[in-house]
Amino acid sequence: MDSGYTKFVMSEEEFRLLRDFIYENSGIYFSDNKKDLLETRLSLRLKANKLKDYKEYYYMLRYGQQQSREIKALYDSVSTNETSFFRSPPQIQALQEYALPDVVNNRLGRGEKVLRMWSAGCSTGEEPYTMAIVIKEVLKEKFPEWDVKILASDISERALSSARRAEYNSYSLRSMPDELKHKYFENSGNTYRIKDEIKKLVELQYLNFADSKRVGLMRGFDIVFCRNVLIYFDDVLRKRFVSQLYDSLIPRGYLFIGHSESLHNITRAFKLVHFPGALAYKKE
Amino acid sequence: MKDKVLERLKEIEDLPTLPEVVSRIIVLAQAADVSIRELSGIIHEDPPLAAKVLKVANAPYYRCFLKDIDSLDRAIILLGMEEIVNIVMSISVISVFIDNSRGIRFKRKQFWNHCVATGIIARSFVRELRAKTAGKEFVGGLLHDIGKILLDAYFHEPFMDAYEYSLENRCPLFMAESRIFGITHMEIGYLLALKWGLPQYLGDIILNHHWPDRARFKDMVAIVSIANLLTKAGNYAYGGEKSSFILSDQNGWKVLGNMGYSLDRLDVERFTLSMDNVGEDVDSYISTASGDDEGR
Repeated sequence: MDSGYTKFVMSEEEFRLLRDFIYENSGIYFSDNKKDLLETRLSLRLKANKLKDYKEYYYMLRYGQQQSREIKALYDSVSTNETSFFRSPPQIQALQEYALPDVVNNRLGRGEKVLRMWSAGCSTGEEPYTMAIVIKEVLKEKFPEWDVKILASDISERALSSARRAEYNSYSLRSMPDELKHKYFENSGNTYRIKDEIKKLVELQYLNFADSKRVGLMRGFDIVFCRNVLIYFDDVLRKRFVSQLYDSLIPRGYLFIGHSESLHNITRAFKLVHFPGALAYKKE
Repeated sequence: MKDKVLERLKEIEDLPTLPEVVSRIIVLAQAADVSIRELSGIIHEDPPLAAKVLKVANAPYYRCFLKDIDSLDRAIILLGMEEIVNIVMSISVISVFIDNSRGIRFKRKQFWNHCVATGIIARSFVRELRAKTAGKEFVGGLLHDIGKILLDAYFHEPFMDAYEYSLENRCPLFMAESRIFGITHMEIGYLLALKWGLPQYLGDIILNHHWPDRARFKDMVAIVSIANLLTKAGNYAYGGEKSSFILSDQNGWKVLGNMGYSLDRLDVERFTLSMDNVGEDVDSYISTASGDDEGR
């Protein structure tokens, strides 16, 4: 942290006001033990807006003239953007070796050559571009015959514009096989730019998971990745959102959640599938 | 080739044998009126064995009690004779093969890791089920693939062919064996279990771990079959079978469900994740059984 950084102290009352505001608008839930975290993340917003305490910030969000712009900045601050290419390699391997070939066969069985995927909570784009690379690797020379689209959504505009830029550093590519780096990136210095053939498969879109009407429009996916998103929600939203994820899949489609996440207490609608070192959920 | 295999097995005179103490323990355990002193006395005739039994009973993966058990007599009182005999069998059989230079030449470490992981996962699974199985699942998991050792030791070339075939065709090893030998590791393992006079439930696990619904000791066989599958999820598989599966569609899972086990309340996700650390337990058990950690 820079030396000019001051952390504003948040009262219990301010915490509750802001926590509830964030929850109502984004579904992201800060439990009572997360006050420190919220303090750290919002201190920067207070500083940027030259405010003296969180109550002022709260009023700004509720009634201020710059309300909608500040809400976007708030979402940028409270969402987490930790991600990388081929994050949790066993999951990506499961996608490549099992789930994707399975949904490809499923489509072929229906006489279709269409693949639809959704990276729900795509952050800065590493995940949807990974999915696109894996699809190309699996379909190989058959790829041109297929109509492939990956929808990538996030609540953070800042993350989305970074995804749109599609430039990454080598750290972000650390789990990726070298061969694929050469194949799908243009490299200059420490910057890796994703090639257009991959980039054009991904459609980036703002989406707030608390907006159940818009989430309800998501339909027809073969595979959905929604990793490390549910942990930010409370039980009510988690259940509603997971049932919407279920509806968004076509039969025999797969849902991947974070490596250490579980739907055990959320739903029994899916069948749990075991892969080497990874789990996924299948709609039947 | 099946007849040839059976004939050859009959001829082999140096088929591994169980240590005499262990055979006596197995016979003794089947008698009705055994005293703790008798059992303890007979195990103590083989001091390294007695030390290994205590070590396993106290190991975190076996986790019987929070407090250390410091003597064999106390272990017998706390765990019961049946469980102690099961621990003895698990250690002895593994020692026979690990010490036997004639033993497996094929991917040896990978094979033992698979067997031990199956035993340890079966044990934690039983704990989740809250079933009282007195360690049968542990020794059963360890020994379920014992037939593969015989195939490898005495029919090495065709066994390697079967192994390669299973990898290439992503089919279960027993299918490849059946194609190449006309007989499987389950059948050969079963013959060995009979020859050694192992308890019937062990023969049943060895013969039927791919089809729990055909078994006599259904729940025990089902538990080992599930543990065997779960080793694939934890990268402790052995052979070329496709490693993706839906647990709730498996034969063993259905068998347990039909027997009244409430599988729905099991948090399978959490259980699967907890297997991430099974590697350390596997190493620890193998060094105990093979005596590598003596004095430590």
